[in-house]
Parts: sequence; C-alpha cells; structure tokens
Amino acid sequence: MYATLSRAQRLQRHLRGQGEALIFLLPAYALFLLFLVLPLLEALWLSLHQEDLFGRGRVWTGLANYQEAVSRPEFWKSAWLTLKFALITAPLELLLGLLAALLVYRPYPGVALFRTLFFLTTAVPTAVAAVAWGWFLHPVGGLANRLLASLGLPPQPWLTSPELALPTLAVITAWAGVGFTAVLLTAGLQNIPAEILEAVEVDGAGPWTRFWRITLPLLSPTLFLVGLLVVLKSLTAFGQIHLLTRGGPAESSMVWIYRVYQDAFFNFRVPLAAAEALLLFVVLLLLAALQFWLLGRRVHYG
Amino acid sequence: MGRRRRLWPTYLLAGGYALLLLLPLLTLLSASLRPEGDLYAPGLLPPRPSLEAYQEALTKFPLGRFLLNSLLVSSLITLGVLTTSFLAAYALARLRFLGREALFGLAVALLLVPGEVTFLPLYLLVDRLGWLDSYLALTVPFLASPLGVFLLRQFLRTIPEDYFDAARIDGANHWQMLRHVALPLSAPALGALAALTFIGAWNMYLWPLVVTKSREMQTAQIAVNFILNEEVARWNVVAAAAILVLLPSLLAFLLAQRAFVRGIAMGGLKG
Repeated sequence: MYATLSRAQRLQRHLRGQGEALIFLLPAYALFLLFLVLPLLEALWLSLHQEDLFGRGRVWTGLANYQEAVSRPEFWKSAWLTLKFALITAPLELLLGLLAALLVYRPYPGVALFRTLFFLTTAVPTAVAAVAWGWFLHPVGGLANRLLASLGLPPQPWLTSPELALPTLAVITAWAGVGFTAVLLTAGLQNIPAEILEAVEVDGAGPWTRFWRITLPLLSPTLFLVGLLVVLKSLTAFGQIHLLTRGGPAESSMVWIYRVYQDAFFNFRVPLAAAEALLLFVVLLLLAALQFWLLGRRVHYG
Repeated sequence: MGRRRRLWPTYLLAGGYALLLLLPLLTLLSASLRPEGDLYAPGLLPPRPSLEAYQEALTKFPLGRFLLNSLLVSSLITLGVLTTSFLAAYALARLRFLGREALFGLAVALLLVPGEVTFLPLYLLVDRLGWLDSYLALTVPFLASPLGVFLLRQFLRTIPEDYFDAARIDGANHWQMLRHVALPLSAPALGALAALTFIGAWNMYLWPLVVTKSREMQTAQIAVNFILNEEVARWNVVAAAAILVLLPSLLAFLLAQRAFVRGIAMGGLKG
C-alpha cells in the first residue's frame, strides 16, 4: 500500500508524522529539558565556579571546588558514614524483606491479610516512620528501652550517642523499606517455576534443603538486583536523618547527601555543595551501570 | 483439616513477624490515644484512651491545610506525569520519526538522575523564576517523569499491532487511536504508574523542605518535622499529628493495593 504513494505524497506524510510526533513529545521533553537537563548542566557549571566575595558574580575556578571537597576530612567522613549506612541498611532490608516474601509468596487461606500487613510500610511516609521510631526509641516512654529493661539490660541512647545514631538510623531505613523489598522479592519468588520445587520435593528434599539448594540460588539474580536498588536508595536517604538527628550527634550521622544540604543551605557554599552532589552522582551512576550490566547479563544468560 | 493444621506454623510465624514489624506504628497509635498524664504509663494499650491529643493537634496546627497541600500537590503531579508520559510514550512506541531512538535513549539516561543530585540547581532555578514558596515550585518541576515515559513506552509496545490496524482501517488518526485503542488497553499500566507517582509525591521530603517558607505552603511531611520541633515533650500530640498524616496514604494503599504492588514491581525492576 505504501509503495503506491508518489514521492511527494510520501514526503508530505513523513513531515506530517514529524510534526505530529513533536506535539506528542513536547510536554514531557520540554519539562525534562527545563527541570532535569538544565539543572544538571547548571550543577556542573556551578561546581566549576567560585562565589565572588565582593561582587555578586561567579568566577571560573576550574576543579578547585572538587579539590577542596576531596581535601576536606569532613567529606571523607561523610563518605565513610554513607557507606556504613548502606552496608547496614541494605543487608538488613533484604533479610527482613526476604523473610516477609517467603511467608506470603505462596497462596494459602489468609495470605491476603499478611501480604497487606507486610507490604504496608510502602505507604508509610518517611516523616511518619521517623516519628514512630522516635517515640519507639524514646529514652523514657519508648517501648524499646522498656523491653530491654524487662530483659534486665540497661537502656540505650539510640539516637543520642555518636556510636549508636547511625546504625539506629540504618535500622529505621531498612524497616521503612521492608514493604518495597518484600513486594519485589515476592514477585521474584513467584517467578521460580513451581515444577522445579515440586520435583525436588518428590525426590524427598526437606524444606530447609529446598530453600538453600533451589529457592535461594534461583532467587539470587533478583536478590542481587533488589540489593543494588536498596543500596542506591540508602545512599540518598535524607528525611529520616533530618527529622531525627539533623546529622548529629557530633556529625555522627552527617551522611553525604546531608553534607550537601548543610553546605548549600547553612554554610552558603553553593558551588562546593554542587561539586559534592556531582561526586555523589558519579558514585550512583557507577552503581547503576553495574545494575544495567547485570540486567543485560541476566537477559542473555538467564 | 490436615491442611489447616499444617498451616498453623505459617500463621504463627507470619502473625508474629507482622506484629513485630508493625510495633513502632502500634506504639505511635497508642501514644496518640493517651492523655498527657498517661503518656509514660507502661503497657502497649493506653490505660485511659482519649482523643484529646487529636483535638489538640487539629486545633493547634492547620493539619487540614497541610494534608490538603499534600493532596493537591500529589494529585497534580500524578495527573501531569500520566498525561505527559502517555503522550510521549505513545509517540515513542507508535510513531515513526527522526531521532526516535535518541529521544528514548535520553529518557532512559534521565532515569539515572536522582532528584537528590539536582535539587540544588533546581532550587536556584525555581528561585530565579520567583516560584519559591508556591504550588508552582512544588509541582511544575515534577510534571514529567522519565520513569513514566519508559514504563508506558515499554507497555505500549506489548499491545498487538492488530488492534491499531483495525482502527486505522476505520480511518482513525493517531489522536483517535491514542484515545480509543491505547488508552483503554493501558489502564493497568496507568493505574500502576499513578500509584507509584502518587506515593512518591506524597513522600517528597527534601524538596518541599527547601522550597516552602510559609506555614500555609507546607506539605504534610514537612509539617510533621515542624510539629516534632515545637512539641518536643508532648509526644501524644506529635503522634496524633503523625497518625493523621499517615491515614490518607494508608487508606490509598488499602484501596488500591493491587496497583501499588504492580507499580512497585514495574518501577522497581525498571523493565
């Protein structure tokens, strides 16, 4: 049918197609350009300039901001805290989510109720999660210290000691993410063919063997991807830290993104903060690249 | 009978674990139902339950306004994302034009840019536009989403060509095909994207924190922060405010759990 059209007709059709496509694409891509691409470029521009102390302009300083950022011990402290935070949050969140997923991925009477309960934290806003934990860990009224006391253990300064604040925040973050992880891992578990599990069951394998030898290996690609996702999320955790510790005590929970916020809005060092944010972006990109690479592998070999 | 007996361990384990997980929320609920004198009384249940704290939270803080702000902002963002994403996704999946692959590639690349990295220059931009402390700042930058474009484009490509061919033979143009073929068939994907976007917008914290100045413009999340700061010792009032902020998203989750779950599964694994 296409071949019967004359060249002019085809050209006309082609141009009309281009115009039509433009109308469809314009709203989304104009917004992308203005609010994603432009800010990203401006962050880059900012990070290469310095505030002029006398005028209101900015002067080009090359990589000076980056040099300053990485030469500050605070920066490395924040990077280390972020890593520590992610290293506690991610495994814990995976473990908690996996336990929930294992309990609800197969249908049984009443499973819907448990799914709702386990997936529920996805609907709990960060601010509410933070307040709930703030009270749960309250030095006087909190249940956590009461439970410790009933076991004969001393109360803990969960959010007020430099040693405990960051791990506590990591636990809170893992808790807030359980719903999210449980949803993804439930889907992953449901994708494991039931025939395989049934076949080994017939062969007399107990539930323990089945889990370690069949379920876990078959789930491991999903587990790895979800793990990366959780790491990426935890590297930009902000709300719970802002609400509960403000980066303290003694900067013990001053993670990378909080440092950016602090430098920009309290120390008024916008270009420096931009450099710090871009360095964080590089780390996130590397992790995302790893994720895509693994996704590609999974598609080819999975 | 035998089956039910075999299920007991599962019920016990799942019930116990769920209780443990929800404990912080339950203690929050319990604190919100206590009058100030009973706040530190032991036990999970409030000894003399009362709605005093709720009453105080509601009279002392414009919680209705905060929740309305959040609702308005989240709804506008969701509506915007659905519209802009669906239009762009339709073009990327169904139209032939120059640079299609490059534009799709751009959306995929932008998926990788987290808001936490761009918030600083975005703040400066919004400041220059004179939008600080307004609904414009809270909504406009988020009316389009690379994830939305990506997910819907992938979904639209799974719709068999035959459906569109049938419409084309009837003389339908692209607008008509978008409305009468693509739109009804995309309902599940749109629902999932809506749930994902809404919850994301409802949860926004860093951005509303930096762009809102006046109390009237604060969203519910930010309001929780301010109430926590103002009512340091009065946890029952803080708890009541937090429970009130939790209720709408909890209700939305319970009503549309299927869409939420699908949205997370879709968005979480990004294809």
